Amino acid sequence: MLTRLSRFGPALPRLLSTPPARFVSQSKPSGAAGSTAVTELYPAAQQAGHSEVSPYVKNPDYHGFSSDPVVDEWNMRLGFFFGISVALVIGGTFIHYLPDHGMRQWARREAERVIQLREKEGLPLIGENYYDSNKIVLTTAGEE
Amino acid sequence: MLKVLIPTLMLIPTTWATKPKWLWPTTLAHSLIIAVLSLSWLVNMSETGWSNLSPYLATDALSTPLLVLTCWLLPLMILASQRHTATEPVNRQRMYITLLTSLQVFLILAFGATEVIMFYVMFEATLIPNMIIITRWGNQTERLNAGVYFLFYTLAGSLPLLVALLLLQGSVGTLSILTLPYADPLQLVSCGDKLWWAGCLLAFLVKMPLYGVHLWLPKAHVEAPVAGSMILAAVLLKLGGYGMMRIVVVLDPLTKELSYPFIVFALWGVIMTGSICLRQTDLKSLIAYSSVSHMGLVVGGILTQTPWGFTGALILMIAHGLTSSALFCLANTNYERTHSRTMLLARGLQMALPLMTTWWFIASLANLALPPLPNLMGELMIITSLFNWSWWTLLLTGVGTLITASYSLYMFLMTQRGPIPAHVLALDPSHTREHLLMALHLLPLLLLVLKPELIWGWTS
Repeated sequence: MLTRLSRFGPALPRLLSTPPARFVSQSKPSGAAGSTAVTELYPAAQQAGHSEVSPYVKNPDYHGFSSDPVVDEWNMRLGFFFGISVALVIGGTFIHYLPDHGMRQWARREAERVIQLREKEGLPLIGENYYDSNKIVLTTAGEE
Repeated sequence: MLKVLIPTLMLIPTTWATKPKWLWPTTLAHSLIIAVLSLSWLVNMSETGWSNLSPYLATDALSTPLLVLTCWLLPLMILASQRHTATEPVNRQRMYITLLTSLQVFLILAFGATEVIMFYVMFEATLIPNMIIITRWGNQTERLNAGVYFLFYTLAGSLPLLVALLLLQGSVGTLSILTLPYADPLQLVSCGDKLWWAGCLLAFLVKMPLYGVHLWLPKAHVEAPVAGSMILAAVLLKLGGYGMMRIVVVLDPLTKELSYPFIVFALWGVIMTGSICLRQTDLKSLIAYSSVSHMGLVVGGILTQTPWGFTGALILMIAHGLTSSALFCLANTNYERTHSRTMLLARGLQMALPLMTTWWFIASLANLALPPLPNLMGELMIITSLFNWSWWTLLLTGVGTLITASYSLYMFLMTQRGPIPAHVLALDPSHTREHLLMALHLLPLLLLVLKPELIWGWTS
């Protein structure tokens, strides 16, 4: 990625323009094609966009969002507010108080009620037929 | 559906109209609000039926957890991508966010689709933004090969699916997911019918992926930038699982016999990919193979076609989505500091970054399916369902669980424990952003322990 910046020519500070040890691409990559040329592997000390300076030097309260301290602070606040306070806490409370998900507790209560009813009346707990056999109309052998 | 879909669509003009300084905070807040709105889909008052019905979209107990996971993932992807795209021109950053948002739109339409062809079109549509993300924003030359494998494996699997679906439409008359379970059973006797059966499933098996057609996954996951890896691991693999669970209702009774080789492949894959994980030097590759391993269990669970199999599959899909995405984010925190994925280069990080070790620990424990996390519950239900299908599977799933625990522990010990290598001199301390990212991954996973019925699917 640093090689892409080199197309700005002498405007680039000298720090960034020192060629690193392993340089595969020989041509200046043009912006039109995007960067399909393999750029050099970064030495571990040079972080992308930071040259050799850690962002904590300029901004001791760096949160990892942006190099601009005001935007960094606000991004952090928005992230935590909407992520934790709204989504997890308020969302979590909403989910906790959802009624009987999938009607499982209702199903249990209904089953117990029906079982008690059937046992009191001496009926079998569940009938053999799913549908009422009186309501099924069958065609006779002679009809089409 | 529209209360989530329209804000998501409007996120695209928002990214292009916001001032460059405020691009990332704005999109983050916007996507988090969408995620909160998506929680309303979890209201499920009916036993088995559909909610939020419209002519083209609906939700039911199967699609709702996946939809919420999709919506939750966009803000996480935005959080994860903020740093590595910071050096790019702002319009390219906007393009990146637009691609992620369009992926979200396609995924919402896919999981909410009431008609199988719509699901198919959205299934294919997610390939395009993903291809662009992998091949344009990946970091190594291998990304081009990865994109090719990704695209053509999926396409080769899904073209038979298109033909199969059109045949199904011809014979049944409809492809509405709402009524397909109640259609007359198909007469499936000939050899052609068996090929049709395979055609219906092949696309989803490639997507899951089933061991044997899984080669695209390690390439795509490794070469993709962090947001690409996250969405691939967390949601796109589950598109395959979801598709299988929907289509399998019309595939009776062939599935009882024909699923045999696929279940065996899946379980063998669990063991083989687990063993490969133990020999990996590349961190992202280890996590990618771990995904294949977990999804192998999911495939096995779905193909047994029992209520516990389906429920276990859904639970494991959601839990694995959150865990795998968390692991990729952790791998990215390493990558941003050392620009290398080799585990040996960044060891003993507990000494340097102890707070991140907490997240590594929880994510590794989730990956090895520690109770009471839903990862274990899903795995147990699938293992039970497979045991019911055949006692011999217990050997494979048992060894698979053992190997899973081994490589998860291996990953944790390699990256966190031991002495710090001498060349690791100056690592940035862990950023608040990274902690927030990990918290937003793992806290929902922990919260799911408290209300697991949200992800049980159709079972009572």
